[in-house]
Amino acid sequence: MQPILEVDLSAGAFSELAIPAAWRNLFIGGASLAARFLYDELSPPGELLGPNAPLLFMTGPLTGTFGPAVGRFVVCGRGPATERWAESNCGGFWGPELRAAGFDGLLIRGKAEHPVFIWLSERGREIRDARHIWGMDTYEAQDQVKADVGSAGVHVACVGPAAENGVVFSGIYCDHGRTAGRTGLGAVMASKNLKAIAVHGSKKPPVAEPDRFGALRSDANRALKQDNEARVLHELGTAGAANYSEYLGAMPARYFHQGNFDAVDDVSGAAMTERFLTGQSTCHGCVIACGRVVQLGDGRKRKGPEYETICSFGPNLLISDLQAITRLGETCDRKGMDTISLGNTIGLAFRLFELGRITKADTDGLELRWGDAETVFRLIEMTAARQGIGALLAQGSRSFGRHFGAEDEAVQVNGLEVAYHDPRGVSGMALAYATSPRGACHNQSDYFFVDWGHTQPEIGIEYYPRHAQAEKAANVARHQDWRTVYNSLVMCIFANVAPAVQADLLSAASGHEWNVEEMLAAGARGWNLKRAINLRLGLTAENDRLPRALLEPLPTGGTEGFTPDIEGMLIGYYEARGWDSASGKPTRETLERLRMPHIARDLWQ
Amino acid sequence: MMSVLFPSREWLGALHEKLNTDGHYNSVARHWEGDLFFDIRPEGNLVEAVSMYLDLWHGVSRRVEYGATLASLPRPKFILTAQYGNFAAVLLGKLDAMTAMMTSKLRVDGSLGYMMRHVPTVLDFVRCAREVTARVL
Repeated sequence: MQPILEVDLSAGAFSELAIPAAWRNLFIGGASLAARFLYDELSPPGELLGPNAPLLFMTGPLTGTFGPAVGRFVVCGRGPATERWAESNCGGFWGPELRAAGFDGLLIRGKAEHPVFIWLSERGREIRDARHIWGMDTYEAQDQVKADVGSAGVHVACVGPAAENGVVFSGIYCDHGRTAGRTGLGAVMASKNLKAIAVHGSKKPPVAEPDRFGALRSDANRALKQDNEARVLHELGTAGAANYSEYLGAMPARYFHQGNFDAVDDVSGAAMTERFLTGQSTCHGCVIACGRVVQLGDGRKRKGPEYETICSFGPNLLISDLQAITRLGETCDRKGMDTISLGNTIGLAFRLFELGRITKADTDGLELRWGDAETVFRLIEMTAARQGIGALLAQGSRSFGRHFGAEDEAVQVNGLEVAYHDPRGVSGMALAYATSPRGACHNQSDYFFVDWGHTQPEIGIEYYPRHAQAEKAANVARHQDWRTVYNSLVMCIFANVAPAVQADLLSAASGHEWNVEEMLAAGARGWNLKRAINLRLGLTAENDRLPRALLEPLPTGGTEGFTPDIEGMLIGYYEARGWDSASGKPTRETLERLRMPHIARDLWQ
Repeated sequence: MMSVLFPSREWLGALHEKLNTDGHYNSVARHWEGDLFFDIRPEGNLVEAVSMYLDLWHGVSRRVEYGATLASLPRPKFILTAQYGNFAAVLLGKLDAMTAMMTSKLRVDGSLGYMMRHVPTVLDFVRCAREVTARVL
């Protein structure tokens, strides 16, 4: 077990925090362990931005071990748009490099007097001047920091100009296209005058039983490589199932108001593979390699978009030009903005323009027409720079809608824009969005996979029809617990690794013997802990909701007119979770069963 | 349409006829170009492996062969391999076809991209196969 490095940017000081073994054994690592570390200070009044807003980068007990799809890190804090618990995990190589430099986490406090970057290696720890880098896009900044430190093998996590300008959905970027995109933690990082964090190390991550772990790792990677889902991801990228999603009506179009997208064949993962793909890219040690390398008309090789970006700038805005979508995604990556939230917020602007609730007088003269990629480019630039209507878009969809008296048109939950898996096509996403600790998130539970048929009976995740209602509530909760385990490990959710194998890997790596039930309990513990943080930050049962658009039937497409009965689903969900039906709080009994009596005291005093 | 025992020569013949006379399948699969080889591994009441071959093209079944071997065929576009119990469960509606694929209960060799692009065809093929299945071993 390695320490967390604490950096006080105000004082220019470094210190080390030991991770209590008891916390490891309760929360595993990653996001859940971060929640335990931050629990006390993520309480009112707290600051969303600036010196007193904590920012914690965490790895997991398998990070950097070349285990199955575990080359990731997670960054946690409080979201500037949601004002609640925020977490976002990211692939690439930065997380393993942090562990190789000797740290399992990095806690950032304070605020530097001027823009700086942090440089961590086995030779030392430095806070360096970054004034010459401030303003650079995320690609340029990474290259400049690497040049400045002059050391081979360095990996850099950084923010872009959007974060510097306080865009509430700005992210943290590494390895040219790997993103911790959601919940706006880039804005938190930039508010501390921290442009980048460069890391390099050569230590092997601590593994308690190397021989046992090595054998398990080889078998797990071999099995993962043969997995059908992994093969689709490798061959077609994360948009490999776009056609199926559209067929089910689960791929939102025209800002969630159209149930089909006839041009899906032009924007799918298959289309990208057939027309533009030149290779795959991968995160540290991953055998899936879902990343796309594409070559467009200009001949330059670049990152190809993943499913969410394709939907956000494709069907969502009725754009069917995959080259344009690719460039829109790259522009967001360079400026440092989450493609889901920005495409969603632009979609809201298009919707309000169509309804006549905003006009050219509100849009700096721009006519917002569905399918017009050039206008979307303009809006992205204006948002990153907070110019004109871009200053309103930069506040996210809830704020944008509220500004124009149309908050109920915004397709968001608790300030986080809905991702592109429509619960009218796959009903489990209704609960996944309504109850996620970070807003309308598809990574706390990618339940759409279960609704497509990806069951795991060995851990009680069974199949329910894609339009089932409250009867699947307990199944969703179970899936959330299991994904909370993933976000603790920190393991990519695309890795179909048998639960028993995961328990063995974790045991061999950590030296603490785990079984699947204990891991699921740790998942439930993490989920309830994040719930407790949000309750203390003002969340109530009223916040467990869906936006109006998702409760209205679509006349066309594969949803077949279905709408989720969210009220009924929530009743079943609260019961399954052991939450109080009136307040939405985990009951005292639930918290004590999960071995968190101190949280019970805080919530029920 | 006669409903028959799976797996059998009669079952494959019935499916061939069904695919060629089912208007919905003929329409949905009008762009499908590819042959299928089913490798059904012994399990339970099936004591020996069974193979079946279907040449599917533009919404019709051009040729089927029971007991075909890969050595006797040009390489099929798709080879679908599973234990007998999983094939039977799909045909009886106890296992969703997508579930079978996503949980690797059904091994697919061939272009997954092509298959994902033609999900409606795949699902309608399964519907036809279910409709000709009266019973399994």
